[in-house]
Amino acid sequence: MKKVSLWQIYKIYFIIGLQLLGGGYVIMPLLKKYLIEDNSYLKEEDLIDYLALSQCLPGLIALNISVFSGYALRKVKGAIMAVIGLVTTPFIIILLVASFLLKISDNIYVQSAFFGIRLSIIVLIFSMVADIFKSSVNSKFSRFVFLLIFILGLFSFMSPTILVILSVLISIFYYKMKEEKNA
Amino acid sequence: MLKTYLLLFYEFLKTGLFSVGGGYATLPFLFHMTEIYDWFTKEELTNMIAISNITPGPVGINMATYTGYTTAGILGSVLSTFAVVIGPFILALIVIYFLNKFREAKLVKFIFKGLRPTSCALLSFVAIQLIIQDVFNDAKLNNLIQSFNLKAFLLLIVLFVLYKYLKSNPSLIILAGAILGFVFNLF
Repeated sequence: MKKVSLWQIYKIYFIIGLQLLGGGYVIMPLLKKYLIEDNSYLKEEDLIDYLALSQCLPGLIALNISVFSGYALRKVKGAIMAVIGLVTTPFIIILLVASFLLKISDNIYVQSAFFGIRLSIIVLIFSMVADIFKSSVNSKFSRFVFLLIFILGLFSFMSPTILVILSVLISIFYYKMKEEKNA
Repeated sequence: MLKTYLLLFYEFLKTGLFSVGGGYATLPFLFHMTEIYDWFTKEELTNMIAISNITPGPVGINMATYTGYTTAGILGSVLSTFAVVIGPFILALIVIYFLNKFREAKLVKFIFKGLRPTSCALLSFVAIQLIIQDVFNDAKLNNLIQSFNLKAFLLLIVLFVLYKYLKSNPSLIILAGAILGFVFNLF
């Protein structure tokens, strides 16, 4: 593998950040283009491994994949450059939007447009829920967890942090029970 | 002011560390913030989700930048963005060190079997909260029926149907929502 300069890493992830529209998975084809096809810094299997790992870790998927691939290029320094490069564009754009949006948000036409946009977001979130439900709520155990968290969250307004920790504890408990049964 | 900085850091650190599954997984945490702080309203958050969909960058990072800026200026935005990134960053580095062990651990795999349905349930609350906000005008449970907004309900149905026709393209459905919202409010 060629040694990549830190500045080069920053440039690559900056360009990726510029094009990172939509969900976190959009980063996969971009990484493939800039790290494999244009420069052959990595192999395609590496990227697929990073994706699998990123899905298993907390945090944003695009960000996790950048940490892994940046690390593969130049260890910790590479990972830091990758993350900074990735967030540069979103950071600047949101600062511009925040200062601009606050000024125009009283406008009645802007408000009506955003009223419709918010309803579109409901549609997007519902289809996301349906997708995750289909792909991951497919066993007795996962149905149980889904129902439990749903009921607990609906009637008690517990914070998501507590519910996530609770589901981890339940999984460990269930796993140990199964292990004992098999032993 | 120092307290605001610390709270921003704490909340976005938690959001980064506990949201599993990427993309919209940060939303339940962000919606929870609307209930305990006055940093932003549910309405502002939903608008930001839309903006994040049409600008580059993940919604979790965008929301951290936005909230940091509106509550504590440029320094606040740098701090919140850093907070949402640093937890997963360190965790990912640790995982690289234990790469092979981690991938084979059955227990870890099993934990994720429980985490995905949890993400799903948390996200469905977000959808329910949004419907209460925009279709029931943010009413409390006891006067839901009086606050029902038929216009919003009909528009929502139209958008659901349209989404299928637009081949599930998020940017197009947001554009359609903006145009239809504009047109609907003229009447």
